[in-house]
Amino acid sequence: MSGSDTIDNPDRRNFLGKITTAAGVTGAAAACWPFVSSMNPSTDVLAKATTEVDISSIPPGGEHTVAWQGKPVFIVHRTPEQIKAMESKETTIDPEADDKRVVKPEWLVVVGICTHLGCVPNRDPEGGWLCPCHGSMYDASGRVIRGPAPRNLEVPVYHFESDTKIIIGKKI
Amino acid sequence: MIKKTISWIDERFPLTAFVKHELTGYPTPRNLSYWWNFGFLAGFVLVLQIATGIFLAMHYKADSGLAFDSIQHIMRDVNYGWLLRYLHSTGSSAFFVVIYVHMARTLYYGSYRKPRELLWWTGQLLLLLLMAISFMGYLLPWGQMSYWGAEVITNLFRATPFIGDKVVIWLRGDFSVGDATLTRFFALHFLFPFIILGAVVIHLVALHTVRSSNPSGINLADKDNIPFHPYFTIKDMYGLGVYLIIFFAFVFFFPHFFIEPNNNIPANPMQTPPHIEPEWYFLPFYAILRSVPDLVGGVVAMGLSVMIFAAMPYMDRSNIPGGAHYRPWYRVMFYVFIIDIFVLGYVGSQPVSPDMIILGRAASLVYFGTFLVLPFMSKKEEQWMRARGLPPALKALFEPRAPREHETQGGNSK
Amino acid sequence: MKKILPILLACVALSAYGEEARLDKSPIPTDNASIQRGAEEVITVCSGCHGLKYIKYRNLLSLGFAKDKVDGWRGSNSMNASLPPQMPGNIAKASFGVEPPDLSLMAAAREGGGHYIYTYLTGYHMEDGKLTNSVFPVTRMPDILGLSGTTDPQKRAAIEKTAKDVTAFLVWAADPHAQERRHMGYYVLAFVFVMTILLRLWKKQIWRDIDSLPKIE
Repeated sequence: MSGSDTIDNPDRRNFLGKITTAAGVTGAAAACWPFVSSMNPSTDVLAKATTEVDISSIPPGGEHTVAWQGKPVFIVHRTPEQIKAMESKETTIDPEADDKRVVKPEWLVVVGICTHLGCVPNRDPEGGWLCPCHGSMYDASGRVIRGPAPRNLEVPVYHFESDTKIIIGKKI
Repeated sequence: MIKKTISWIDERFPLTAFVKHELTGYPTPRNLSYWWNFGFLAGFVLVLQIATGIFLAMHYKADSGLAFDSIQHIMRDVNYGWLLRYLHSTGSSAFFVVIYVHMARTLYYGSYRKPRELLWWTGQLLLLLLMAISFMGYLLPWGQMSYWGAEVITNLFRATPFIGDKVVIWLRGDFSVGDATLTRFFALHFLFPFIILGAVVIHLVALHTVRSSNPSGINLADKDNIPFHPYFTIKDMYGLGVYLIIFFAFVFFFPHFFIEPNNNIPANPMQTPPHIEPEWYFLPFYAILRSVPDLVGGVVAMGLSVMIFAAMPYMDRSNIPGGAHYRPWYRVMFYVFIIDIFVLGYVGSQPVSPDMIILGRAASLVYFGTFLVLPFMSKKEEQWMRARGLPPALKALFEPRAPREHETQGGNSK
Repeated sequence: MKKILPILLACVALSAYGEEARLDKSPIPTDNASIQRGAEEVITVCSGCHGLKYIKYRNLLSLGFAKDKVDGWRGSNSMNASLPPQMPGNIAKASFGVEPPDLSLMAAAREGGGHYIYTYLTGYHMEDGKLTNSVFPVTRMPDILGLSGTTDPQKRAAIEKTAKDVTAFLVWAADPHAQERRHMGYYVLAFVFVMTILLRLWKKQIWRDIDSLPKIE
């Protein structure tokens, strides 16, 4: 074989052609990455991935709503009675123990979006929530006690940077 | 499996036939030089500009209060935003380098001559679209140069007879360049590249009808045409590699070469920078504009300097085929023209001064002179060449003989 | 027509004297330590009057500053806030006659970039009993670094070093991704270079038969 590639007689053993094509295709694929990556959240968006909250001003029994990644987050300073009530109660729709849903029992942090179709539930007098859209009800641990919501209110990742400061969005 | 899919398609759509006829098997003269790579390169730059442009548009804000900040957001916060931006800004200049070389090749080798007039004119249309796109695109960063460049150039439309002032206001959507101008320039800057895509298809259809010319200017025998694939596919790829080395050197190491420092200052309608100049690719035309002391005269001269290329097929009256290859006078005129363009470019970059005015006017006269002299010169040159005796290749063309296959397809034998 | 050539030559010669003042072209440091020192100087001194709109406090973390240090600088401002000027713009305008310009893009907004900034900072001197600046004579900015009033060579050298560091930081601020860009550039150019060599070899291989045919005139 002369090694020259013509239209009628492709040189199967054309190593040069193969390696050039392989390199070219790899380069073209690599060149796509910056385009794809540019669609991912930019650094300023990622910086807002965490929210700092000063909880020192929330009295026992009080509640505060903050924005985190564009969503409402309920921060509740629970009273000892509420904590006791939640620890002893079991729910049936989405069973989950209360102590699994909190880092410190007196602070409940849940995403304020109803797990049914996304409305923001309102606080009810018993310390839980009632969703105005389709009537779902949540207890003082954010667990669903009446549907149509299928799941408990989501607990986001958060940690206590100090006794008075919570960082939502980062585990530690 | 693939073969089956393709034959399924072929029963319903001329896929294989099209690819064979127009791409892989398409006959191309075997003596094309690397000057013939620039059409493909232009297509590549177009695709890259569209790709980078679309991804930039995902983050850019076409609002006079947000535009400048959004560019900084792209440069600093968007992943690889800086790369997209520099690819696009360098690409804009690269586009003009490629197109100007592509045009120079066509002028030098006489590829605009019969039967390639439509090919030349569709190319002219593409050039006008490209100029419009880059003018509008330059406003988008909303820097000092962006703003004042747009203000000055839109002012030129005042030259329109009777309704000049109304036309300027209509173009801008406001009494001076403002938010309305910015939004519409963004909309059109996004749209026009797709019009260019369509015009490129027409340009290629015209090309495939008359087929490529070649350096000798004489149509080659069938045996001297070779299939586009693999010969010119690999040659285009190699040319692309050389181009990318130069292109990426600018993008990664000298991206500021094409960005005016003044454009890093947000637009200030209350203060004109001491020295306004357009991007380098408009400088020769800018010099011609400034050479005429009258507003309307200057605009007419500038418009003419761009449009006069369209007249080329009729200005060249020689019966000797092709361009500079066989024709020494034509070659000299070509080089004079090229040098003159560089002189004009230099004049356009300098502030107005008595010496620059003289130089600019002289260079403008030479510019138009080369076109106007061509009809007479080309005829005289033919006489001169015939008197000295034509080279064998040309003699063969003019000798009477039996017409061959594909005879009517081109060349200039009368 | 004979006038053209000497005019052409004169223009080329004159254009070599582009700027009014010659810029100091000594290299601006690009190492992180210098940029950090410059950042400290700018944030503690220059931001008395100048803001940096496009630099956020969190950007300083990428320079290697500890979070505590940045927290100390930002006070009650959020991490995502821009570096503000301490003196409100309108008060500065009343005192100096002009609002101190934002510095985020200053290294890109002047012909000569970092060299301009360095020459400017070290360009203060007395002329006919008045303080002036060699690159920007009509500046309203005082000689903050104090070079014009210092004769001791050691002190002058220290001021010039500070000016270099400030310039390094401002050059970074105008183009924070410069280092990443150049780094990527080496790899991209190396790849394209090798790719082009491969393509040239393959092209020659494919064209061997055609290239051996007699040349067309």
